[in-house]
Amino acid sequence: MLIPLAVESDEQRRHKRTRKRGILVGWGGVVGDNNYSTTSYSAGGGGGGGGFVQGGSQTSPAAQRTSRNDTLRPVTVKQLIDAQVPHHDQPFQIDGADVGQVTLVGQVRNVSVQTTNTTYRIDDGTGTIEVKQWQDAEGDNSMKPKIAENSYVRAWGNLKSFNDKKHIGAHIIRPVEDFNEVNYHLLEATAVHLHFTRGPPNGAKAQQTNASGYGQQAQQGGYAGNGMSNMNGGGSGLPSGFSAAASKVYTFLKNTPQTNEGLHRDEIAHSLGMEINEVARAGDDLLSGGQIFTTVDDYTWAPLETD
Amino acid sequence: MNLATPRITASFLDQFAHQTVRILGKVTELRGDQATVDAGGAISVVLNREAHLQLNHGVEIVGKVQNDLSIKCLVALDWGPAAAITLVEFTHRYREIFYGES
Repeated sequence: MLIPLAVESDEQRRHKRTRKRGILVGWGGVVGDNNYSTTSYSAGGGGGGGGFVQGGSQTSPAAQRTSRNDTLRPVTVKQLIDAQVPHHDQPFQIDGADVGQVTLVGQVRNVSVQTTNTTYRIDDGTGTIEVKQWQDAEGDNSMKPKIAENSYVRAWGNLKSFNDKKHIGAHIIRPVEDFNEVNYHLLEATAVHLHFTRGPPNGAKAQQTNASGYGQQAQQGGYAGNGMSNMNGGGSGLPSGFSAAASKVYTFLKNTPQTNEGLHRDEIAHSLGMEINEVARAGDDLLSGGQIFTTVDDYTWAPLETD
Repeated sequence: MNLATPRITASFLDQFAHQTVRILGKVTELRGDQATVDAGGAISVVLNREAHLQLNHGVEIVGKVQNDLSIKCLVALDWGPAAAITLVEFTHRYREIFYGES
């Protein structure tokens, strides 16, 4: 649905690298997890180590800014007309998500060839909008497909506003050859709209459950061996770098009903059938890692809520 | 401000009287400037001069629904022999991005 374009600016690449590095050197824990838990896409575990998310996150302005230029969203003309600018100098938003590149399919109502550009009036049944394509600097337009009035076209471009009138600055416009593309596009625009307004479909939730199931198993096998790439694989929300014992204790703390005073070390050891000193070491790791905190005394711990 | 042309099928006709709509259907009958198009039910269409319909082809017609629930054609576009899928229900269920206010 959101297809990242191959082109990305140097600035974006630098930005991504910096974020990755940031997590590697250690502020990954809480901040990184927060990003993951709110991002629908990385729930399945494919997100890798980087904090770079695609459009899904509303909580991280940095991620949003990055996603602006490299997403391609299928839209209807009505969505473009309804698109709002939330604050001055910010990109347009549709369904609360920044709009990067858009693609639309519609019928050409009017073609107007000017010296610097060609303007098409495109009607997709939900409204009409002007799509401007700038003339090639070389003046070689022989490669461009011929576009006739009343024919269907697909256009890719950016939503722009000039004197309060919206138009699309198009990179590419091509005729629709298979009419199934018209219905397909409307369905795709609906799917993306529902994704942004209602969250991912059930499939993604099931994936999330799987991911947490996987996390439990991984803890049995020992978390320490898992690489950075598994950072978001654990349903416990614990970053990598902790021992198997620490993971076990943390998961127990998270999943056991308790008061806000948390649980005592001895109780944890008893319930998990672990040695007291083993639990103590796990607790020290988790405390220094900022995953749990002490409550009534040094041996009573509660998990730090990261969501 | 922008005129929408809702995509409809035969069963929607009475709800869209006197409005400009879009229908996609299969041409089942051609008699001079009259045609019958199957779009979830038979719809009679009064054609204009520019319309070139072919029997058994899919056609998309933008036109105005008349009193007798026939359609006065404004623009007709031949979708070829393969295309005759009438898929409109979702555009009315999720009106917010297609036609409606809410």
